Amino acid sequence: MNVSRMVVLSLCFIVAPSSWGTVYLQWSNPAIPPASSLGVSDIVVLWDGAAPGALLASARKQGYRVYLEAPLKDSEAAAKACAKAACTGIVLNIPESEDSEAVKPLSRLRSTYPKLRFLRLNSNGKQPEMRGSVVIKRDAVLEVSSPTAQPWIDTNLALMRVDQRAHTSEVPLYTFSWADQAQQGTLTADDYSLAVAEADAFHADLVLRVDEHLQQRLNAQDRDAWALWNQVRLMLKFSPDANAAALQPAANVAVVFDQLDAGDEVLNLLGRHNIPYKVFLAADLKSQDLKPFDIVIVLAKPDAESAERIRSLAAGGDTVVVVDAHGKYPWQSSEPEHVNEHTTSYTVGSGKVLELSEPVTDPETFAQDIRRLLGKSNTMLSLWNGLTTIAVPYKDRTGTMRLLELVNYAGEPVRIQVQVKGSFSKVRYETPEGGCCQSLEPVKHDGFTEFVIPELRISGRLHLDAQ
Amino acid sequence: MRFDRPLSAALLFVLFVSSTTQSSENQHLVYKKKYVMGTVFEIAAYSESPEKASAAIDKAMEEIVRIDDLMSNYKPESALSRLNHSAHFQAQKVPSDLYRAIERAVQFSRLSGGKFDITVAPLVNLWKSALSNGMMPTPEQRRQAQDCVGYEKIELSPPDQITFHSSCMQVDLGAIGKGYAIDRAGDILRSSGIKDAFLNSGGSTILAIGAPPGQTGWLVHLRDPSHRIDPYVLLKDESVSTSEQTASSLLGHESAGHIVDPVTGKPVETKFAVSVVTPLDMPSDGLSTTLLLLGPNAGKALINNMTNVSAIWISPEAEMETAMKGAKILFSGKS
Repeated sequence: MNVSRMVVLSLCFIVAPSSWGTVYLQWSNPAIPPASSLGVSDIVVLWDGAAPGALLASARKQGYRVYLEAPLKDSEAAAKACAKAACTGIVLNIPESEDSEAVKPLSRLRSTYPKLRFLRLNSNGKQPEMRGSVVIKRDAVLEVSSPTAQPWIDTNLALMRVDQRAHTSEVPLYTFSWADQAQQGTLTADDYSLAVAEADAFHADLVLRVDEHLQQRLNAQDRDAWALWNQVRLMLKFSPDANAAALQPAANVAVVFDQLDAGDEVLNLLGRHNIPYKVFLAADLKSQDLKPFDIVIVLAKPDAESAERIRSLAAGGDTVVVVDAHGKYPWQSSEPEHVNEHTTSYTVGSGKVLELSEPVTDPETFAQDIRRLLGKSNTMLSLWNGLTTIAVPYKDRTGTMRLLELVNYAGEPVRIQVQVKGSFSKVRYETPEGGCCQSLEPVKHDGFTEFVIPELRISGRLHLDAQ
Repeated sequence: MRFDRPLSAALLFVLFVSSTTQSSENQHLVYKKKYVMGTVFEIAAYSESPEKASAAIDKAMEEIVRIDDLMSNYKPESALSRLNHSAHFQAQKVPSDLYRAIERAVQFSRLSGGKFDITVAPLVNLWKSALSNGMMPTPEQRRQAQDCVGYEKIELSPPDQITFHSSCMQVDLGAIGKGYAIDRAGDILRSSGIKDAFLNSGGSTILAIGAPPGQTGWLVHLRDPSHRIDPYVLLKDESVSTSEQTASSLLGHESAGHIVDPVTGKPVETKFAVSVVTPLDMPSDGLSTTLLLLGPNAGKALINNMTNVSAIWISPEAEMETAMKGAKILFSGKS
């Protein structure tokens, strides 16, 4: 998608607040428990050709801010109904293919309904979970592909990083559909809690679909249902640190695309290996300063100007990995070193350009390669016993890492050893279960700080203090 | 095209996970997973009573955790860690499960002429450490590490005593621990009255008890680095294990695979992935590592001297070798 169109589109929305971590419950049952009981203030109701009047009335009475979720084609009608029903706003479910088409209608809606909030929903999320390799088919026959070396994690980190690039002025808002289990009412408190924890850790907002069985049981005052929800409430209460609003995701790897693709496995595997990255478009090579990044991965075909910027980045000391971009480029005037059958290295100034002659066919190995390329001195973050944990670092304006958000997808508490780049005297650990904060013993050496997290269940937050 | 193990596992199929499903024969399928030993253990079991299946799976998972507590070398209080700390030149009494696991491993060492060896950790660590610092181990370093390696320096004194006849010996059960845990979990399921169940330890070892209702076996697709052959088996009262050396770097880094040949002192260089199918009374996990280390020629000779065992080696270029003395390996090749 055209960058300028994306920027214009982003401006068409009322700019979201700078905080994140809002959970919007998607609700369908005509009755709903009070907002104070569910522990959320915002609910989303699906537009189905008409506003569900009974639910809207019930929800407002129970203390909720109500949003209507509608596709772009129904946005006008939904906004009209929303204004009439005194609801708070519209959650627009806009597929990526319709992003550019949304610019004009949204601009019109915004001026027509200035009191309504318009939120853009990314519905391409996936249920966060740790997966095995067993596949249960509908006829209940099992298959398995073998072998798998380590747990596979379904995470929405790549989706969020791509969304943040596509819509730079907004806090991402996303949702996902539950797998088949929702039909049978078997979702657990951990399933919901993991979804909430993930959105919070990625500094995003979430539309959380509440299983209809659970809605019914909550309305019926079912004890087990409320026991489940009270566990979820613990996670909902684990609100973002207000001081973190000024923090930005920290990353030392840049990934450059021709077209944004949240499904790209390179992003997925970089995330799973806890290599912090930021997503760019090829046009950004010309307009943005990528020098702060230690490694730039170019998954785009560079034009002449971009190629010159790549050469310049390498000359300044960066390592640039150019993937499957056959052609003549300025760095090729250096002496080539054939590293293996797929890779040629060019030393340029104090850095280098590595040309990979084929697409990344093995993203797992590629991610490990990137970690090795970073080397010990540039590794921002290392986790031991963290195979099921995604860690997301955040930095302040000076570039110092201040916060580390952790999500464990295993459903089992894990003890994790962490090493972060930088020298920190105080490390405080905050969890939904333990509150804020437990002091951890930092050990500083060679510009790094190490400490042990005694137990990470689903969500944890580390506050790093250099003082 | 080359695709890595976890990725192929995740992308090849659409997941229809349901924790309970009712089949046409009034048998309920219960499925659970748990993160233990650094991987995902999965158990699926059929029963007329989902509660019974669920309780049996819970007990089986508890057994896996118990085995991990015994055999982990990451846990300083595990029986294995204590053994590694204090069995040098003096007999150490160990829990029966640990004794049996080490005894099983030593049998594979003998079978493979020392290619499979649970004492190889010093060499593995040497390679990892050297390469992470951008160097290769020197011959002297390799010789020193090899001095610490050798299954024949493990003395087993029935019923439960073990002595290491080397001052620097360390046992690592990474190659067989998950398989041992799966076997024990299978025993728990059977003793709980479960007749049809499927146990998977992160894909590396799979154990099948009975078969799904109305089926002749549990369908298991085997590792195929070429993505062109798609071998599969229908497992019934059998297990399958797969071994493969760590993929080499795309960007040309020196990378030590996780499987080191104790005889040469170097990471084994093989492009093959190997899967081996054995009956339930013969553990498949140590055998798959052994077959990887031996390679197809010596491996096939070994299989041909065994009964009811089948194996397949496949390279990324779709080179394939098989030895079928047991379960039939079938193919649904894509080209």
